[in-house]
Amino acid sequence: MRIGEIVETMSTGFVAESFELNRPPPLGSLVVVRLPAEAGETSSGMDLYAVVTYGQTVGLDPSRRAVRRSTDTVFDQAIYQEHPELNRTLRTEFGATLVGFFADGQLRQHLPSQPPPLHFSVQSASPEEVQRFTDRLHYLRLLLAPYGQVSPLQVLAANVREVYQQRDYDRVWLDTAAREIATLLKNDHEALLTVLHAIDPGESYDRSGGGEPT
Amino acid sequence: MPLELGPISQQVDNMAQTIVDLLPAEEGFLARAQDCLRSADADALRQKLEWQHRQQIRIPWLVATPRLSLSGTVPSPSPPSDFSVVGIDASSIPPDRHSSIRYYVLNVGYALLSYGRQPDAVLEASSQLCFQDEQLYVFPQKRDVPIEGTLLSARMEVESLRVLQKMLRSISRPTVALRDGPLILWTLQNESKEVQHVLLHDLLEAMAFLRQTGVPLAGYISYTGSRDVANSLRVWLCQGRPNECERCESDNRDLCLALARIRDRDLFAFLAEGDRSELFGSSSQILEEYGEHRVDFFYMNVGGEIVRVEVPRWVGSDVDLLGFLHAAIYDQCQRSPGFPPYPPALLEAHEQAVITAAERRLVEQMVEQALGQHGQRVVRSAKDDSKRRRGI
Repeated sequence: MRIGEIVETMSTGFVAESFELNRPPPLGSLVVVRLPAEAGETSSGMDLYAVVTYGQTVGLDPSRRAVRRSTDTVFDQAIYQEHPELNRTLRTEFGATLVGFFADGQLRQHLPSQPPPLHFSVQSASPEEVQRFTDRLHYLRLLLAPYGQVSPLQVLAANVREVYQQRDYDRVWLDTAAREIATLLKNDHEALLTVLHAIDPGESYDRSGGGEPT
Repeated sequence: MPLELGPISQQVDNMAQTIVDLLPAEEGFLARAQDCLRSADADALRQKLEWQHRQQIRIPWLVATPRLSLSGTVPSPSPPSDFSVVGIDASSIPPDRHSSIRYYVLNVGYALLSYGRQPDAVLEASSQLCFQDEQLYVFPQKRDVPIEGTLLSARMEVESLRVLQKMLRSISRPTVALRDGPLILWTLQNESKEVQHVLLHDLLEAMAFLRQTGVPLAGYISYTGSRDVANSLRVWLCQGRPNECERCESDNRDLCLALARIRDRDLFAFLAEGDRSELFGSSSQILEEYGEHRVDFFYMNVGGEIVRVEVPRWVGSDVDLLGFLHAAIYDQCQRSPGFPPYPPALLEAHEQAVITAAERRLVEQMVEQALGQHGQRVVRSAKDDSKRRRGI
């Protein structure tokens, strides 16, 4: 079900305007942006998953602040009945942090290489999608990054993934890079796992047919 | 900072002291003026004004002719359970005399607010870039009388009512139309009859449409500075000719001169919340051109402010339309989130109509870019250019 439209987008997440005033999706819920083949970077399209990080209702015009409307007899929902312009002058928006994507038959739990396009629809994830996505829990690491910033670990992993592709899926280079990262992060086991997971080429990315990253 | 605030500050103090010192005397005169409003004979005043008009005695002020009584009040009826209010407002980017390209932009904002069983709101704007001769000149064939200044303001009023006319074609429930500002286009008074005729033609056509559809139209003037009724009281008090004050030896001379400073909004401060005054006719000369749409006005306490409401005569003479309008205005003001109240339909129409400084610059850039694509450069005056650069 379409629940909003993206009005700000970045590598770590997006801000969407909710279709329903005062009803953003629940905090922490999983939402999805579906990219058709022509909009995404893959031939078969891509589903970007994100976790709702906040919701807020504000004036459509940032320079107009909301003011008190209630009287003894008109309050709560009745205010919206008696002041129908509120439905046109207020907006509810929500933020979401990207936690992974589904593309080429694979579910990945790291940041996608591109932010979702502006003005694309946001949908709530179906129960089946929630189940499938949360079978693995690597995505929880993405939620711990400071809001709006790409964590250095994700930048490191993204660089390795990009170069791996541009070197024509050079598995030897990837293994060397993994070893280098293991040396750099030898004192931070959790960080190392985060990066190794994020650079794992998986089945479809691994054209040389290699196994688990070292 | 070239403005020397030192002397200004001293003068501000002096001004405040002067105003405070005069207050008791002003209040005394206001009470006497209100007594005069209550005691003056409306019929006799009407006859006196009509006689002076027939005798072509020049009255140097705008005066109000009471349609009924001078100090009568009418309480607000209740609005119907389902109704709509359309607020309409306009703004413009005027022609820039420092630019080689002549054009202007009109932006008419409107808010259609529906109340009752199916509450709804439509907030939109109708914008247009005017660059053709028939838009730039009152007489395009001879490229004469450019539309700018007061003529552009009149064009905005006309365009507002045109947009209103288009909008109302799709409305089925009882509706009131509110325009921000006067319906009396007194700024056209100094123009020639031909200019007045061209500009008023469309305005009156739109008013005729509203009359046909049964939608009462009103001009809503907040914090009105009008003195029409106060001026009529001066005529009432005057024993001689109203344009020979220097020779006046009447006992009422002090009150008459005080009335010159009293605004109608203070004179009608006695109105209870929701009440309106009776209708008054305006002596504004431009109304001679309005025909059946001649505009009358009343004052109203909307709950924190006395406002002036201008209505075409076909609204004023129809008890039902006038009652509906009165009720809708008071209802609007009760829905206002601010104090003193202001009709939400007009507030939202204003929000739609307003053109920000950034939008003005954007339009300018768009024009320059579009012409640039055709190899044309927009030339600006050296004065304007230097003001923009502000080089040191």
